[in-house]
Amino acid sequence: MDQAAFVATVCGRLPAVCRSMETLFDPRRWAAFTELSVWQNTVLVGLRATLSMAAIAMVVSLVAGLALALLRVSPFAALRYPVGLLVETIRSLPVILLIFFSSLFLPRVGLAQDPFVAATAALAVYTAAVNAEIMRAGITAIERGQIEAARSLGMTYAQTMRHVILPQALQRVVPPQVSQLITLLKDTSLAAVVGVNELTRKMQILYQFERPPNPLQALFVAACIYFILNYSLSRLSRRWELGVGGAIDLH
Amino acid sequence: MLTATPTTLAGAVGAGRAFGAVVTQPSNLQLLLQGLWVTIKLAAFSLILALALGVVFGVLRTVPLRPLRAAGTAYVEFFRNTPLLVQMYYWYFGLPVLAGVTLPGFQAAFLALGIYTGAFVAEVVRAGILAVSPGHLEAARSLGLSYLQTVRHVVLPQAFATTVPPLGNLAIAMTKNTSVASAIAVQDVMYNGNLLNSRTFATYEVFASVGLAYLSLTVPLSVLVNRLERRLTRFRR
Repeated sequence: MDQAAFVATVCGRLPAVCRSMETLFDPRRWAAFTELSVWQNTVLVGLRATLSMAAIAMVVSLVAGLALALLRVSPFAALRYPVGLLVETIRSLPVILLIFFSSLFLPRVGLAQDPFVAATAALAVYTAAVNAEIMRAGITAIERGQIEAARSLGMTYAQTMRHVILPQALQRVVPPQVSQLITLLKDTSLAAVVGVNELTRKMQILYQFERPPNPLQALFVAACIYFILNYSLSRLSRRWELGVGGAIDLH
Repeated sequence: MLTATPTTLAGAVGAGRAFGAVVTQPSNLQLLLQGLWVTIKLAAFSLILALALGVVFGVLRTVPLRPLRAAGTAYVEFFRNTPLLVQMYYWYFGLPVLAGVTLPGFQAAFLALGIYTGAFVAEVVRAGILAVSPGHLEAARSLGLSYLQTVRHVVLPQAFATTVPPLGNLAIAMTKNTSVASAIAVQDVMYNGNLLNSRTFATYEVFASVGLAYLSLTVPLSVLVNRLERRLTRFRR
């Protein structure tokens, strides 16, 4: 493709794109969102699916991520390297690929027919790999002297992990874990492409049946809901970070 | 609940075909490679847009004028906290229905990816600028450099060193995110892989090939980023 021609066509369309924003304020197209039933049957139903996907995937991936991280820092190379390869591979793949694959693979082996389960499983696997990397970084960031001190006090490897390293490491990884949760919440929208009735797909179904059609409005409402959830999460995380920073200063 | 019947199991292993028989067929391989080329083009174009937007809004977020800073913050927070898929649908399905402006899938994906990633780039650029010590700014200003000259000759060159590794990670994430464009019928490697799977039902080898295609882009990039990071931090110490 001719690059200059591409840039020219995109720029040529931009004024029309901007003009079309006027239709965003057309009251007839907002009418659907003045009805309570639309909020109850579309927005809330979709939001519930979105939130439960994110919650299930987050809980599973936190546990799995911690297990994988412990394997990745284990003293046995035979555990460390295969787990490292697995984690790095999954992390390097697009989430949507994992979602497509799991929605085809799980029904074939007779595990789950429901796209909700398949998409949640894919999200959990991907997030577990990312969480493993975050927690590994948190564990290796603890100073070596602490491990040596604990070991020379007679603690076993497991005791050192349990009582010395993990309590500190897990506290440090809260901010990156929250931003991963935000990414996960956004990624649940990808489940729409395999037919999970979460927020994005519910909104799509809504605007396809509305007359006059209102895709800009419906997608804007969806975007705002995601925004409110994610922005408040990131604010909470920042406050938590400041709180812990203050606590550390008191020492 | 075991629903696997002999036929679906046969389908799962490729109906008696050898693993790799489908993707090594020239026409199928060509389909995947064409898709990979579209993925590369989309990633390259969107990265340029993201860098341009990111530098502009990243600098905006640090200027001493409150309305400009607020505009930068609004852009970053809104586009960073909403899903890419919703943004792609917005450009692709939203505009034609209402305004008669038809954006082809590739252009809609380019705009969505560029604007979405630009918000993350802006944060990296802002952090890089704030990492430049205020003493340098004061020194430059007291030497008689204008605000723009200070930004151009003192702040940006230093910010560059601290921003390159995170920008590399963003480039990797964006390369993976191009796959979302398959949901608006951009014929990238993900889309063509799905197409090939629905024609042949050779799910395992098709998805393994598509996965390898993405790894062939992301792994060299991450090796490059790691090397750059090591070189940049070595200079700093």
